[in-house]
Amino acid sequence: MAKDIEISTSESKFLIEALRQGLRPDLRKFEEIRDVGITFGKDYGDVTVTMGKTKVHCRISCSIAQPYEDRPFEGLFYISTETSPMAGAQFENGNNTGEDEVLCSRIIEKAVRRSGALDVEGLCIVAGSKCWAVRADVHFLDCDGGFIDVSCIAVMCGLLHFRKPDVTVSGEQVTIHPVEEREPVPLGVLHIPICVTFSFFNPEDAEENIKGESNNEICLIDATLKEELLRDGTLTVTLNKNREVVQVSKAGGLPMDALTLMDCCHKAFKITEKLTDKITEVLKKDIESRNQHSAMLSSENARVS
Amino acid sequence: MLSAQTGILEQVDGSCKLQCGETTVICSVTGPIEPKARQELPAQLALEIVVRPCRGVPSTREKLLEDQVRGVITPVLARYLYPRQLAQVCFQILESGEPEENYSVKELSACINAAFVAIVDAGIGLKFSFASVPLSVLGEDEQICVDPSQTDLIKSSSTHVLALQLAAGGQKVENILLFESYGDFTEKSMLQVLQSGEKACVETALELRKVIQHKIQQDFVWR
Amino acid sequence: MDSLIIPGDNFHVEGRENVILGPGAYCDPKSQQFQPVNAGFEVVKESKKNVSVHVEYNSKRYVPAVGDLVVGLITGSYSDSYRVSLESFSTPVTLSYMAFPNASKKNRPTLKVGDLVYARVSKADKELEAEIECVDSTTGKDAGFGLLEGGTVVDVSLAYCRELAFNPDYALLPLLAKTAQFEVAIGINGKIWIKCDDVRHALACKKSIVDCQHYTPSEHKSIITKNFKKLLNSTD
Repeated sequence: MAKDIEISTSESKFLIEALRQGLRPDLRKFEEIRDVGITFGKDYGDVTVTMGKTKVHCRISCSIAQPYEDRPFEGLFYISTETSPMAGAQFENGNNTGEDEVLCSRIIEKAVRRSGALDVEGLCIVAGSKCWAVRADVHFLDCDGGFIDVSCIAVMCGLLHFRKPDVTVSGEQVTIHPVEEREPVPLGVLHIPICVTFSFFNPEDAEENIKGESNNEICLIDATLKEELLRDGTLTVTLNKNREVVQVSKAGGLPMDALTLMDCCHKAFKITEKLTDKITEVLKKDIESRNQHSAMLSSENARVS
Repeated sequence: MLSAQTGILEQVDGSCKLQCGETTVICSVTGPIEPKARQELPAQLALEIVVRPCRGVPSTREKLLEDQVRGVITPVLARYLYPRQLAQVCFQILESGEPEENYSVKELSACINAAFVAIVDAGIGLKFSFASVPLSVLGEDEQICVDPSQTDLIKSSSTHVLALQLAAGGQKVENILLFESYGDFTEKSMLQVLQSGEKACVETALELRKVIQHKIQQDFVWR
Repeated sequence: MDSLIIPGDNFHVEGRENVILGPGAYCDPKSQQFQPVNAGFEVVKESKKNVSVHVEYNSKRYVPAVGDLVVGLITGSYSDSYRVSLESFSTPVTLSYMAFPNASKKNRPTLKVGDLVYARVSKADKELEAEIECVDSTTGKDAGFGLLEGGTVVDVSLAYCRELAFNPDYALLPLLAKTAQFEVAIGINGKIWIKCDDVRHALACKKSIVDCQHYTPSEHKSIITKNFKKLLNSTD
């Protein structure tokens, strides 16, 4: 196990005191997320997402594979979230057995793959023998908290941005058309799940909270690395724009009551709406800028159609 | 052709994002830090090098890249300044710029150049400058192409990577750190590759120097 | 006369004798040639007898050097010494129980794990674990070292930290002092301990110090004013 970041008692006391007075070290409000930046690369399905100083790169790729025997009509979809010391020396290369790493990859897996965000049936080419295998490689570049939230945005942006080569099937004969030959086709994305992570701090004694009488706990959205290191509990809610709760994940930490949970979901929905709009807007802009070039070259296409 | 930014990552000690034609890599350097017992070297700085591909899981190809980068940076680091310490050097390929199954020359050369800038950014002692270029030999008339594009690469009969150790402000070539060649080539074309590679390395070193100059000016902006 | 220098260049002291090498200069044990190993400004200082040369460069990770005043974090305690971290992931340093004022076998210091201390690096041999002390070893007095109670820590780059500590004309801290009252201890390891009576002031100071790293001195004043305005006007 790699070593952890060390924090002094003075600093943790200072942070708690600041939170008690309603202040965060970066002067954000408690329920304010950091600015999200989305940039696409030259290729389809290459996206870098930043949230404050946290930076995640996601790359979508695809290949032809054989579907699972028990699911002949479905394509394959993998998400790989491996950490490397690039994100910080606390991460070990090739060792993803740490609690946080496992939790992070499970939550993303559930939020995107198990929620059916990607239409895997659309990846089928020939039932039982050929299908697309779509792969999302998440690369953590810089860690300043909120890996789950940022990775989820990165994977979804990547999937929405990605284009797979077009195929034609005639009998058993499958032809893959190279990108130069025929315009590649987008993936079927059914909804955009957004993760919102809450961090809880308990400035008083932990005992009081279990009784549920005096709830002095502080709740933050989108904690930075320092805030994450000092928090007493965490909750991740995954939602989409259709007001559907995809998952609620709370692995230990401070106990919480049902009302707080409802309250958190409402707060998360506002953020989900904002982020979904942002993602669609950025994607639209990117597609427009790409079409500029093809508009110059596409007189031929116009005649065909 | 070549552009680079330093200090783009917050948590590590030094970082560099380098774009060279179609290839983009990020390099991060952390050190000198406390090594794990199995990494520790009694008299010098130990190196942990990680290369991560832009898609898929790391394979033998990345292991080879790691080894090649290690061979280049080990002799130029002032390793004896940091006994029993560790430096972590990580590379993340963002855009490969070449068909990954068959080629790795452009990634290798970009990694070496990015490593130089990132190590300087981290402030770990380096004894010399170094720079690298990918080359390819095209067709029957053995035309040499410096920094080949993806299409040049596929057409070429042989591909090469040259990394040179440079001194005296990046003008004087001191040593060959790495010279990897793949494919069919003659002795004559290899010597030609070395010759044009040398010129290109010196040019690349000048570009990298500008990047470092800019970094230093930014570092001391509060003066 | 500071000129830019990067590894692989030569120092502008060719043919001189009695050259004293400072940080960023390396003498090859085999060839006895010396050269820069870091990229930064070359600083050559002439004195009567000799000439000294060093590279003024910026970095994030601290390497201990004798005489530096540092802010450390106690991470463990042993039978006769504390283990102190000067930077996350770096090799920890030793703080002996005897390196305190009025130390004796019976009189043990009372620091706890997680406490911050202000100390001086007393031994820094690259082959051995570095040692720090909380006492002025020439007089045996406490000299302002020891436990830093409360407050918070600001992480900054090392060159900026040196400027704050060593350049008496550098206007940032005096500017801050005009708007807020604070106690400060500058650790050359890039950690600045700062303590105010009021959390808002402390946060504004902290943010101002971090922000000013990336701006020219002429902009410092407006950054400080902006940060204080933002914090003091925000309501509970």
